[in-house]
Amino acid sequence: MAPHSPGTDQINTLLWIGFVAAAIVVVAINVALFYAVRRFRAERGAEPRQLSGGRRLQFRVGAVLTVFAAVIFVLSVVYTDKARQTPTTGSAGLASAKTRPLNIEATGQQWLWRYTYPNGAFSYYKLVVPVDTAVVLNLVSTDVVHTWDVPDLSGKRDAVPGKVNKVIFRADEEGNFSGDSATLSGQAYASMRTEVEAVSPDAYKAFVQQQKADIEAAQKRVVGLIQNGEVP
Amino acid sequence: MSETPRPELVVDGYPKKRPRWIELTTSADHKDIGRIMVAGSLGFLFIALIEMLLMRLQLAIPENTFLSPVAFNRMLSDYGATAVFLFAIPLVLGFFYYVAPLQVGARGTALPRLGQIGLALWAASAVVLYAGFLFTPSEAGVNPLAPLTELAFLSNNGVDAWATTTGLATLGFVLIAIDLSTTLRNMRAPGMAWRRVPVFAWAAAVGSWLLLFIGPVLLAALTMLMIDRNYDGVFFADGSGGSPLLWQHLSWIFYSGAYMLILIFAFGAIAEVVSTFSGKPLYNRGVVMGSLAAIAVIGTLAWMQNMMTAPIGIGWMYFAMLMSLALIVPFGLIVFNLIATMIGGALRMRAPLLFAVGAISAISIGLGAEIEQSMVAAAWQLKNTTDATAATHFALVGGAVFGGFAALHYWFPKMTGRTMGESLARISFWTMAAGILLAFVPLFFAGAEQGQVVDAYKFFEHTGVSAYNLIASIGTLVLAAGIVMSLVNAIASRENGPEAGHDPWGGDSLEWFTLSPPDPHNFDVLPDVRSARPMRDIREAIAHRTGSAERPTRESQPVA
Repeated sequence: MAPHSPGTDQINTLLWIGFVAAAIVVVAINVALFYAVRRFRAERGAEPRQLSGGRRLQFRVGAVLTVFAAVIFVLSVVYTDKARQTPTTGSAGLASAKTRPLNIEATGQQWLWRYTYPNGAFSYYKLVVPVDTAVVLNLVSTDVVHTWDVPDLSGKRDAVPGKVNKVIFRADEEGNFSGDSATLSGQAYASMRTEVEAVSPDAYKAFVQQQKADIEAAQKRVVGLIQNGEVP
Repeated sequence: MSETPRPELVVDGYPKKRPRWIELTTSADHKDIGRIMVAGSLGFLFIALIEMLLMRLQLAIPENTFLSPVAFNRMLSDYGATAVFLFAIPLVLGFFYYVAPLQVGARGTALPRLGQIGLALWAASAVVLYAGFLFTPSEAGVNPLAPLTELAFLSNNGVDAWATTTGLATLGFVLIAIDLSTTLRNMRAPGMAWRRVPVFAWAAAVGSWLLLFIGPVLLAALTMLMIDRNYDGVFFADGSGGSPLLWQHLSWIFYSGAYMLILIFAFGAIAEVVSTFSGKPLYNRGVVMGSLAAIAVIGTLAWMQNMMTAPIGIGWMYFAMLMSLALIVPFGLIVFNLIATMIGGALRMRAPLLFAVGAISAISIGLGAEIEQSMVAAAWQLKNTTDATAATHFALVGGAVFGGFAALHYWFPKMTGRTMGESLARISFWTMAAGILLAFVPLFFAGAEQGQVVDAYKFFEHTGVSAYNLIASIGTLVLAAGIVMSLVNAIASRENGPEAGHDPWGGDSLEWFTLSPPDPHNFDVLPDVRSARPMRDIREAIAHRTGSAERPTRESQPVA
């Protein structure tokens, strides 16, 4: 993953903290194991020392472990809190989103993502967002649980029927960010991918207007066909 | 003074012995039931391996067409049910049920019929899962999240079969847990206070109490699912007052508890093996026993660690993280005490110790990765990626397979009277060690670095995970080969292994006081327990009575 949003920057830092914590645990345990197994073989002929651990030593070890866990907990809370904050729209972003973030609805359905923009236009598979603009994706589902997952822009979130979940991000450069769904949702789950395209605010406005016009034209045509009796 | 006549015993011939397999399968003896569960669950380990291999074969190259998506999802669902309900939990319970009553000096179990029914229910659950010619298997995954399991989305009866399988098995486990906890509570030998109970028997007690809590939770969820599917229920359907999240809460309580159960078993067995093979008592028994109990409680309370991406409040996520990270303390203390037991000991590197050390190492990698999986914002990236798969598999293959094989090699002489072949055990161990690293380390990278998602039947070339997946597939093959070697070793040694004698390892606990294999009534004389190392006391008493000059305590026995 390459972070392209303020939230994922924080998450990336936390991931490295977690990696270090995990590495400390794994290395400490395995080095100690290796030492014990190499050093204390019966073949060396030494009698086993009938040691037993006193309460004080156990308390000390317990205290060290507690501090270790507490440090991880606090760091996680700090970085999680930063990652959750709604970013502000930057100078290059959409002007109308300066006061409150751009709200887009993402609907998970077997096996496609549908994005509904504020003006009523919608698109499937590809989400187009203005660059440098705070975007709130409201995740909903019409059937089963889906997980929206575009790792470069945000952590994953589940779209659960009957609930609304939120994804907040601000794409820091123009480009395409690919993603997928991360909860088994049936046969075509592996192909239920998605893509976020970050474009300039002007291109975004043009896109949603064009999309709306196209959809209305298509609907008008279908209604016309039905009225003319060409479609039963 | 007239003597009372002595009672006369008339024997009109012995009752006819029925064939051995009928005797075995209709027995209510905890040892027969335990043996069947251990042997049967190892058989299902083989089947789970085949399913895993088929899935890894599909995922060896990008956009493979070896398995269709439907076939892959069925394989995945059956693999999950087999690995958890037909292999791991019954293996754990089989060893608990066989060994723990012997360790506490019980002549049998308190409620043997419950054990018998439990075994029958477990067998029935296996039949239901694999009676695939009657219905198509479930396509809903390892923990099938509602509402995918609702009739509207999967209308064939695969999900019903899955729910019946897991329900029957869980009911059986709960019955066995009732018997086990009652036995350990009421039938300990005189002097066997809780503080003198062997760590493995304590793990059995904690494990069965844990099952008494988590088993009914899953049974309730499964009942709701069956009502939803068959009687127009709405428990997990959105609208009409149902909630899909309810399933997640209930099922994750069970799965988190089962995860802890397997690790509690593993650490119980490892503690016995490590202390026996280093010739030392456990560094601090009380701390290890307390930590095992703490893991059962805290680990189950961390169930929402699996729901970090679900629409639940951030406070609940912090709660789940707090519980998960709190586990560092008891797990750390246990591992510290195990290693401290080895330090200063005289280690005999026999197969059980080799597998025990391998288990600690594998579990450390798995739980280390789980730390990162528990850190809320990091979890948002890592959940549902192959990083999670690798973490769980390191911890659970480490616990149930490496830990289970440590237990198998350790207690095999008690169960059969013969030792498992040592050289094949060594080859098997090193193959498995190479296999688990090759199979799951690449998945850490694929998940954490590239975000490859779990449960998907294919992946795409452009996502940059092709090499990782190929190595993982090869590694799974190596791991499977190593496991199969140990299974072959067990089958071959059952009849032809070297004679073990009654006390092959010089253990401290009472199961080594019985014959190998033990008589149906376990003990002719109930030993009077005076310490936490009763078998050592017995050996010293014998040496004292026979007046042998050197006291053959276990420490000075020659290296086997």
